Amino acid sequence: MTPESGPIKIFCRIYSVLLYAYPREFRLQYGIAMQQLFRDRCRETARASDRLSKLRFATHIAADWLTTTISERAVAIWSAAHKKTPRNFVTEWAVTIAIYLFATTTLVQAYVVPTGSMEGTIRVGDHMLVDRLTYAQAGSIGPHILPYHQPERGDIVVFLYPEDVRQTYVKRVIGLPGDRIRLDRQQVIRNGRRLTEPYVQHIATYPDAYRDNFPLTPEANTTPRGRDMFASHVLNGEVIVPPQALFVLGDNRENSEDSRYWGFVPRSYVIGKPLFVYWSYDASTADLQGWTLTHILDVTEHFFTRTRWERTLTVPRSQTAREVGGAQ
Amino acid sequence: MRALTGTFERANISVTDVFMPVTQPPHVSSPLSPPVFHILLALADEERHGYGIMQDVARQTGNALQLGPGTLYGCLKRMLAAGLVEECDERPDPALDDERRRYYRMTRLGKRVVRAETERLADAVIVARTKLAGGNV
Repeated sequence: MTPESGPIKIFCRIYSVLLYAYPREFRLQYGIAMQQLFRDRCRETARASDRLSKLRFATHIAADWLTTTISERAVAIWSAAHKKTPRNFVTEWAVTIAIYLFATTTLVQAYVVPTGSMEGTIRVGDHMLVDRLTYAQAGSIGPHILPYHQPERGDIVVFLYPEDVRQTYVKRVIGLPGDRIRLDRQQVIRNGRRLTEPYVQHIATYPDAYRDNFPLTPEANTTPRGRDMFASHVLNGEVIVPPQALFVLGDNRENSEDSRYWGFVPRSYVIGKPLFVYWSYDASTADLQGWTLTHILDVTEHFFTRTRWERTLTVPRSQTAREVGGAQ
Repeated sequence: MRALTGTFERANISVTDVFMPVTQPPHVSSPLSPPVFHILLALADEERHGYGIMQDVARQTGNALQLGPGTLYGCLKRMLAAGLVEECDERPDPALDDERRRYYRMTRLGKRVVRAETERLADAVIVARTKLAGGNV
């Protein structure tokens, strides 16, 4: 018996929940065998261990699950109708729909990126799936069941914009609780060490003292939360990240509204991390805010020419910044 | 070919395509859907459990056909109902682990059906070769 690794155990548990989308009879008959098969294939994929085959395995399992739950449900209802046995269709379908909702809202969710603050890593018009599980807030028994992680420095996170929780933002984590952060001539100095950030893009159109040498004094476009950060979390010309909060910056460093302007991201506002880009479409920021009629027409007309095919299935990755120089 | 189709009708096989289980009435039997055909082939030489079937199908097709759990057991369910396969016993696989697994074996009807399907495919290949040799493609 091979020792079971943690993630496989977790995926098996998730799969066992997903099995509830199958009709009851089918599940009772084959559920255990299907879990065995799923686990065996997980082990097989884990041995292959390259990212592409893992992704292919995941999509394959998802497609298999989606098509066969629908077809098995249809068969169950079709045969029930022919047997003339009374059965509550509403309950049957309600369970299926509940499971679909669980899968699409708890595990992953689709987002579109309408602004260029992460340009260089994530482009305007990237449609991504976001993994909502990894950074989910652990309950009391949570850590034992699910693969929770804490965001690390260099991770890309999707979160609710603290000034307006109806919006979601995507940025890179620069500071964890306790870190001392400042910017000197566009370069981040974290805990006294200057960072070389391979993911950052500097395309400044004009110099800006506030943006490039942070923190100085609040200015006009510093939000109330930003002002609060200046008032309570700046010491000796450095921002100190409080507990249960993150300091985030955009990769397009000079064209990004980030923690410099609106303060820290509370840990509980973090939604997840980008999994991969499933569709990247070249469109304007305004068009990407919602599915307006003009946008739909635009997509129908230019789908093939303006889709950035080469970005399909790209993975926005965590990257570590190198620390150079001694204490400053 | 005609004689074999006759056998199909008498047996009243209800192997339906996995993706279109509702649209196909149960008496439609041939052609078999690719998963069903390859599952039968996998069971032609020996009894296998679900994972064994999946691995053998991947081998047969050069990894072109990977059966997911839902597809595999959906097919097996319909094949059991049609009498193409039967369950043997539950026993552990000596090569994998000490867990008990459900094994499947092909019935005599299943053997007949897979032979008939192979004939049909062979005929189709002959037709295809003849057509393509004409230089139309």
